[in-house]
Amino acid sequence: MSTYVYGITASSHPALPEGMGGVGDPARPVRVLKEGELAAIVSEAPEGLRPKRKDLLAHQNVLSEAGAGGALLPMRFGSVAPDDTSVTGVLAERAEHYLERLGALDGKVEYNVKASHDEQAVLHRVMGENPDLRALAEANRQAGGGSYEDRLRLGEMVVAAVQAREAEDAAVLQRALEPAAAAASVGPDSTGWLANVSFLVDRQSAEVFLAAVDQLRKSHPHIELRVNGPLPPYSFVEPGPSEPAETAH
Amino acid sequence: MTVVPAQQSGGGGGSSGLYDVLELILDRGLVIDAFVRVSLVGIEILKIDVRVVVASVDTYLRFAEACNRLDLEAGPRKSPGLPDLVGEITESGARGKSKGALSGAAETISGAFQQARGEGQRDEGQSESRPRARKTTSSRKREEQE
Repeated sequence: MSTYVYGITASSHPALPEGMGGVGDPARPVRVLKEGELAAIVSEAPEGLRPKRKDLLAHQNVLSEAGAGGALLPMRFGSVAPDDTSVTGVLAERAEHYLERLGALDGKVEYNVKASHDEQAVLHRVMGENPDLRALAEANRQAGGGSYEDRLRLGEMVVAAVQAREAEDAAVLQRALEPAAAAASVGPDSTGWLANVSFLVDRQSAEVFLAAVDQLRKSHPHIELRVNGPLPPYSFVEPGPSEPAETAH
Repeated sequence: MTVVPAQQSGGGGGSSGLYDVLELILDRGLVIDAFVRVSLVGIEILKIDVRVVVASVDTYLRFAEACNRLDLEAGPRKSPGLPDLVGEITESGARGKSKGALSGAAETISGAFQQARGEGQRDEGQSESRPRARKTTSSRKREEQE
């Protein structure tokens, strides 16, 4: 029976979520595998596991629960080991590395910040700053919207101005929040936001970080900020040694 | 001023927060070579969904239109809600995007996507937003009558 792995923690962790419902339907109960100073939070891996909403939430909830009680290295969703023995084998083999990471992340949580522009507000802003744009928009308006070419030209200029603003505001965000965090990790770009940055924050000083976010909201009302946290430090676990544990010949 | 409140759900486990942290759960976190990962077919779209305010004709026209409707006298944040028209455009843009993502991820995380708020997502040149033919039926009718 293969083993689903949620995360790695210290075996001295005071509140491991043993028995909690994990992935699968019905939810597989969470177990703990100890190996020396380390422990893996696992459950049975259900057949045909897929990234369904329920399972993603289960993964996240188990980690949140465990993370609340002590340092934790969260696994990426969907990590399945052939059996329990191979899990403890990996713990034994890479103990030093994992203990180092657990020490580094002790007392720290991740806050993910995604920023997007309020479209109306950012349009106001770029129009306000750019007389050429205003003139062109006004001319188009006078002409009942303007010709197809006129509209294209205006749109192209506006898009360029908005994009420049996005890059600028992404930098503003990072400058404003980095001082309140221990580390920052820039996430993948994607449609829908101009910045996607995770911050590693001391659990004790989370208030300071959130105050910095509020300050940014006040000073830059055209930037919409979505803050998620505290989260397990997904973005701050470094990969282990690249040599596979069991398959090395 | 519209402010999206910080989500202080104890562990970020609330369903509304799931969409926002999806790429962290799926794309970050520890990976151990000796373990296999379950197939993420249909979800990869998140990773390749690279952000570009696509330099397309559609995008340009949409922004030009938005500018024409912009009331510069009103000030940027006079009303908390967006004017109806812009609201509609943004909404349909977001719908188009979700649809694209869903077609790949059907039955996997469709719930998560449906939970997602579409705010701020731009229409990235979805074909359905192509400008409609301008010729109106009334003008055509008049031509016929003449």
